[in-house]
Amino acid sequence: MGSEEPTVLVVEDEPPLIEIYARWLEADHEVRTAQNGDEALEQVDEEVDVALLDRLMPGMSGDEVLAEIRDRAPGCRVAMVTAVEPDFDIIEMGFDDYLTKPVEKETLLETVERLLTRSDYAGLEQELYALVSKRSALQSAKSTREIAESDEYAELEARIEELEAELDAALPDMESGEFVAMVRDIETNADEEPTMPEGDVPDPFEDEADDAGDEDGENETGGSTAGGGDR
Amino acid sequence: MRYETSALSDGVAFNEGTSLLVSGPSTGVQEQVYDLLAERTDSAGTAILISTDRGAPEVVRSFEDRDAFDAGRVAFIDCTGRDGPEDEQGAPVRRLGSPGDLTGMSLEFAKLVDRFEDAGRGDRVRVGLVSVSTLLMYTDVRTAFRFLHVFTSRIRSGGLFGIFAMDPGMHDQKTVNTVRAVFDCEARVDDGGEADLRGSGYTVG
Repeated sequence: MGSEEPTVLVVEDEPPLIEIYARWLEADHEVRTAQNGDEALEQVDEEVDVALLDRLMPGMSGDEVLAEIRDRAPGCRVAMVTAVEPDFDIIEMGFDDYLTKPVEKETLLETVERLLTRSDYAGLEQELYALVSKRSALQSAKSTREIAESDEYAELEARIEELEAELDAALPDMESGEFVAMVRDIETNADEEPTMPEGDVPDPFEDEADDAGDEDGENETGGSTAGGGDR
Repeated sequence: MRYETSALSDGVAFNEGTSLLVSGPSTGVQEQVYDLLAERTDSAGTAILISTDRGAPEVVRSFEDRDAFDAGRVAFIDCTGRDGPEDEQGAPVRRLGSPGDLTGMSLEFAKLVDRFEDAGRGDRVRVGLVSVSTLLMYTDVRTAFRFLHVFTSRIRSGGLFGIFAMDPGMHDQKTVNTVRAVFDCEARVDDGGEADLRGSGYTVG
């Protein structure tokens, strides 16, 4: 149950505030709560999509908890809840966004939503790179005519356009803080994941590899006409 | 509001939020980008230049050569790794240790845009990055692509005008094609300095 809903962890030492935030979020999110750093770490796992973290909790500091969350749930986006408007400092400290107290319902829901969107955006963007990179390889390796006749190339083009539209729609008014946090994520990931999971990305060289196999003299007659041979 | 220019050819106007790639031999391309940035003085515009090769004093001279230096309307991010003051003849200069410090670059850029916004000059910003080719020496293509993609998205949402320089001769064809896909339009500059504009996000005449 509820596995489709994004999970939000609220870390806040004042129980009345926890209650309010949870009530606002419950309609569309799976909500977990914690009153201090230790409890927060008990609640954090890879299921948590967004954490709202009060910076000034008794016991463990928000910064310490942040570091642990980053470790245990790398995909989790963390917004700092703070009494003072923090400017870009929070991005440099490793947070993804912030909420200034007193937090209003709309602001809270909007911030959670944007943080979730940002995760989607990063995924789409990695897919875009994979596709554009494949298209570029084709552009450099094939003649204009071969490209014009290639169904894979046409499919690739269509999917790239689709992705670009999705990306444009995802974060229509990207703000400065958001931009910096996204670049920071890209730079952090640069060393960690040199290759992305290929997933559904069509491989335009697949056929070529098959063709090459045939030329190697394997005696499967009609192999080069692919599925047509059976009929 | 649009970004008008006669630097590439007469009567070209770029839409708000457009990002242009200027490609060709390094020297010619650099001059084109400076020409495009220098034109911001025609109205209430401002310019932010991210420089990976020329240091701040040289950048200021390049603006002065074009009679386009106005300390309150230009700002620089010097990524050459050279030490120096935080301003150059009154214009703010932010310094980074290396062109590979993308987070630092985006942070300083964000702060400079905010600064222009606070001064009521944040809506007509021309942003130059000279050059993407140098950037590619410090980071892999995938990271550069993703960075440029987010950067151009930010330029689009802010209604700014992005101008990026690249020398295709310095990279393999696949890299060039990948990077070029990020931009709305491209001005291909030949050895003689003539520019051929293609893509979308602008009108001619």
